[in-house]
Amino acid sequence: MNSGGTEIFETEVLIIGAGVTGSGVMRDLALRGIHCLLIDRRDLNAGASGGNHGLLHSGGRYAAADAETAAECRREGEILKRVAAECIDECGGLFVAVEGDDPAFAERFPEHCARAGIPCQAMTPAQARTLEPALSDRVFAAYAVPDATVDPFRITLENVNHAQRLTDSVFLPHTEVEHFDIRDGVIRSAVCRNLRSGGRRRILAKQVVNAGGAWAMGIARLAGCSDVRLLYSKGTLIVSNTRIGGGVINRLRPPGDGDILVPGGTVSLLGTTSDTVDDLDDIRPTVAEVDRNLASAVAMIPCLAETRFVRAFSGVRPLLLTNGAESDGRKASRGFTLFDHEDQGLTNFATIAGGKFTTFRRMAERTGDLVARRLGNGEPCTTATEALPSGDAVRWTEPGAAARYWYQRRDPSDGILCECEMVPRSAIDAIVESAPGAEKQMTLKAIGVRSRVGKGSCQGAFCSIRVTSHLYDRGVYDSRAGLIHTRDFVSERFKGVRPVL
Amino acid sequence: MTRPAEIVTPTIDFKAKAHELLPEGCSYDSCLSCGLCSSGCPASGLEGMDPRRFIRMAMLGMNEELATTPWVWTCTQCKRCMYICPMSIDVSVLVGLARGAWPKEKKPKGIVRSCDAELRFSSTSAMGVQSEDFVEIVEEVAEEVREEDSRFKNIRVPIDKQGAHFFINQNSREPAVEPEEMAPLWKIFDYVGADWTYSSKGWAAENFCMFTGDDATWKEMVKQRVEAVNDLGCKVWVNTECGHSFYTIWKGVERFGLRANFEPGSLVSYYAQWIREGKLPVNSDWNTRGLKFTLQDPCQLVRKSIGDPVADDLRFVAKRLVGEENFIDMQPCRSANYCCGGGGGALQAGMSAQRRAYGKRKFDQIMVTEADYVLTPCHNCHSQMEDIGHFYGGRYRVVHYWTLICLSLGILGKNERKYLGPDLAEIGLESAADARGAEADE
Repeated sequence: MNSGGTEIFETEVLIIGAGVTGSGVMRDLALRGIHCLLIDRRDLNAGASGGNHGLLHSGGRYAAADAETAAECRREGEILKRVAAECIDECGGLFVAVEGDDPAFAERFPEHCARAGIPCQAMTPAQARTLEPALSDRVFAAYAVPDATVDPFRITLENVNHAQRLTDSVFLPHTEVEHFDIRDGVIRSAVCRNLRSGGRRRILAKQVVNAGGAWAMGIARLAGCSDVRLLYSKGTLIVSNTRIGGGVINRLRPPGDGDILVPGGTVSLLGTTSDTVDDLDDIRPTVAEVDRNLASAVAMIPCLAETRFVRAFSGVRPLLLTNGAESDGRKASRGFTLFDHEDQGLTNFATIAGGKFTTFRRMAERTGDLVARRLGNGEPCTTATEALPSGDAVRWTEPGAAARYWYQRRDPSDGILCECEMVPRSAIDAIVESAPGAEKQMTLKAIGVRSRVGKGSCQGAFCSIRVTSHLYDRGVYDSRAGLIHTRDFVSERFKGVRPVL
Repeated sequence: MTRPAEIVTPTIDFKAKAHELLPEGCSYDSCLSCGLCSSGCPASGLEGMDPRRFIRMAMLGMNEELATTPWVWTCTQCKRCMYICPMSIDVSVLVGLARGAWPKEKKPKGIVRSCDAELRFSSTSAMGVQSEDFVEIVEEVAEEVREEDSRFKNIRVPIDKQGAHFFINQNSREPAVEPEEMAPLWKIFDYVGADWTYSSKGWAAENFCMFTGDDATWKEMVKQRVEAVNDLGCKVWVNTECGHSFYTIWKGVERFGLRANFEPGSLVSYYAQWIREGKLPVNSDWNTRGLKFTLQDPCQLVRKSIGDPVADDLRFVAKRLVGEENFIDMQPCRSANYCCGGGGGALQAGMSAQRRAYGKRKFDQIMVTEADYVLTPCHNCHSQMEDIGHFYGGRYRVVHYWTLICLSLGILGKNERKYLGPDLAEIGLESAADARGAEADE
C-alpha cells in the first residue's frame, strides 16, 4: 500500500533486527500461524550474528564462570544439532592448557562441566596431538567436549525462508525505525526510513519485538523504555585461508584473546578480543587486535604464526548490564533477558536482549510465548522439534557446497563467477530471484551475505567484477548503481583485508 | 557367474599431499585466485577444469572429484601455470599425483602400454625395439650411408664404445619407423669429429612411465639408463632432439637421488657450440626463396629443464640456418611458450578430441607467424604440430634441426627429406650427386 509517498505495511508482529534472534522469533511465530514483518536497518546478520566464530558452544567455555549459561548452551546445542543438522558441523572440540596456564584451573574443568551436565573426556597431551596435530607440544592438559560449528548465515536464511513459506511473512532490509507512534500505552505503528531509496515506510503491527542486538538499547529508548541496559563488547576475529584442525580448539584458561580456533567449513576462525566500546558506529578490526589474537594463540597452535589469514572482522557482543554487574565484557553474563516493558507503560512491546548465538532458539521461544499469548494465540512453540527446511536460494553459504553442486551438474553453460569459492551463475541467479531479502538491484554485499562470494582468498578483488558484469548482462543492474554496489562491496571486504596484510 | 568387482579409484587428500610435495615455503595456500595460470593454460576448459580450479578444489577438499577427473590426462604437465604464477605454485605435481593414483586398468591404455614395453626389454624402448634389433638397424643404415655418399664412406656409428666422450640416446621412433632419419645426426657428429657412442642397452630416450604418474617405474627407467651411461664411462650424456627425455633423466636423477657420473647436455646446445666454434659452418644461402620458419620451444627442455639459455641456443641455431630475416618467433615463446598439447603422454592417451582442442592454441600461434616450417627438437611436439596442422587445415611443415643443418651443409641425403616440402626437396642434392660422381671417378 502506498499513501502520500509513504509505503504502508500491516502485520501481526513487527520484529526489529534481522539477526539470528529476530529471524528465530519470526520463524517461531510463523510456526504458530502468525504473520510477521522482520526489518533491519542493514541486512540479515549485520551485527553480532554475522560477526562471530560460528561456534555452537558445548557450554565448556562458560562452565567455570556461569554454570547456568553453560547448561543452556548444552541443551540448545543438542536441539540445534537435531533440527538444523545441515547448518551444523559436529566436529567436536578440545580444551587444552599450555605450559604457563594455571594448572588448578585446568584440573577443575571436568568438575565444572559435570555441574553443567557437559560431557567431558580427559585426554593425554599425546592423544590430543594425534587428534589435532597442529597443537603445541607444550600442551599439558586436554579435554574433549561436544563443541560444534554452525553456519550462522544459513541458519538465519533458513529461519526467514521458512517463515515466508509458512505465513507469507516478510523481511525488509535497510529499513530503520525513526520513531514509534504510541498512544494509550500501545505502539500503533513504527515509522521507518527505507535507507536505500530514502522513502518512508509506516508499519502497522499488533505487537512489536525488539531483537536489535547491540542496537536494542537504542530501539527501546525510541519507544520510551529505559530498562534495557547493555554493555558493548567489541570482539575481533581473523579468518585463515584454509582449515586448521579438525575440530574446535579452546584454550583451557579464563577467557582471553586468541584462545578459540573454530573451523568454518574450509577455513578456520581465530578469536576473540574483548574491548568495551561506547559507540556502535564504524566498528572495524585493527592491526593491534589481530596481533593480540595471534600473539596469544601461537602458544597453543604454533603454525598460526605462518598461517595465511585472508581477513579480519569485528562484532559487538550485546551484553546485559544488570544492577551492580560487571563492566568487564569478559566477565559479564552471557544470559539473556526478555523485557515485556509493561512496567514502562507499554503493552505490545518486548525486547529480547543478551544471550548467545547458541541459545537463540530458546530466546526466540520465550519471546514467541509472550507475543503469542498477547495475541491470544494458544499454539505452542515447535522449534525444538520441527526441522528447518532448506531451499535453493538459502544453501549457498556453506563453504565448498557451491563447488560440489557445480561440479556435479557438469553444465558447461553454468560459468563460475567466484573462482575462489567456485560459485556458479546459477547460484547467483537463484539468490537474486528468491533468497530472503532479494529485491530489485540487489547489492553485491547482500549477495555476499547469502553466498560465499567474496569470502575466498581474493576477498572480492576478482569476483566483484565478474558478478557485477553478470548482473548487468542479466539486466538486474541497468544503471551506474551497479558499479556503486561493486565499490561498496570491495571497500567492505578491504576493511577486513587491511589489518591482516 | 559373478560380476567382476568394479575397480575403484582411490581418493587422495590433495591438500595434505601438496603440503608434503611442494618445496618449503611454497603452498597452495598462497594462491591468490588471480587466474593467470588458467588464462595461460591451453587445457583450461577441457573436462570443465583448469589449473586454478584444480587448486581451489584441492583447497575446498573436493578430493574425490580431483581423484577421478580425466582432466589430469589432458593436462600435459607443462608447468606453464607454475612459470606464470606470481606465487610459483606448481599444479603439475598434484596432476602427477592424481595420475599415479588411478588404477592401472583405468589409465589411458596407450601410455600404460608404452611404459610396459619400456620395462620389458633392456633396450627400454617404448616401441618394443630390442637391443639386438637396434644394433642391426643401425648397422644397416650406416652401411647405406657409407654407400650413398662418398664423403661419409668411412662413417662409424659406435655402439657401446667404452670411454667415449658423448653418450647419445635415441628416440625409438627412428629405428622403429623411419631409420633413415637417424643418419643426419650421425653425419653431423662425423662432420664435427665428435667422440660419441650409442649404447645397446638403455639407449631409448622416451619415458612414458613418467607420464603414468607411477614414480616406481619412472625411477626404474631412469636407473637403467643412468647405469648404461655410467657403465660406458661417458663424460656427457647428450639428449637427442626429444623434449621429455631430457627432463625425465635430468629431473629423475635428482628426484630419486641416483648417482650419475656424467653431465647432462642437450644436443641443441652442442649444435650452437659447434656453430660458434666454426665446426658446423651452416648458413642460409640455400634459402633463396625466403621461406619463413618459426620454432617450438619444447616445454620439457626449456621451461621444465634448462630454461632460457637453451631457448637462446635454439634461436641462435635457427637464425643461422634460415636467415635472421626469415625467422619469426611465436608469441609468447621461450620459457613462457605454450605447450603444443602433445606432451605428457597426450599423443598416446587416445583422447584425440581433447588433445586437438588443446593444440588449437598452438595452431593459431603458428598460423599468425605465417611460417612455412616449424622447427622443433622434440618428437612429441613434432607429431602433435603435424597432426593439428592437418586437422585444422594448416599448410606448414614440421622439421627436425638435424634435417636443416645437413641441408645447409649440403650433406642431406635424398631419403632423409621426409619432412621437407617440394620447395626444399631438391636443394643441395647436386652436391651429394657430385660426391657420388667423384666416387665413381676414382
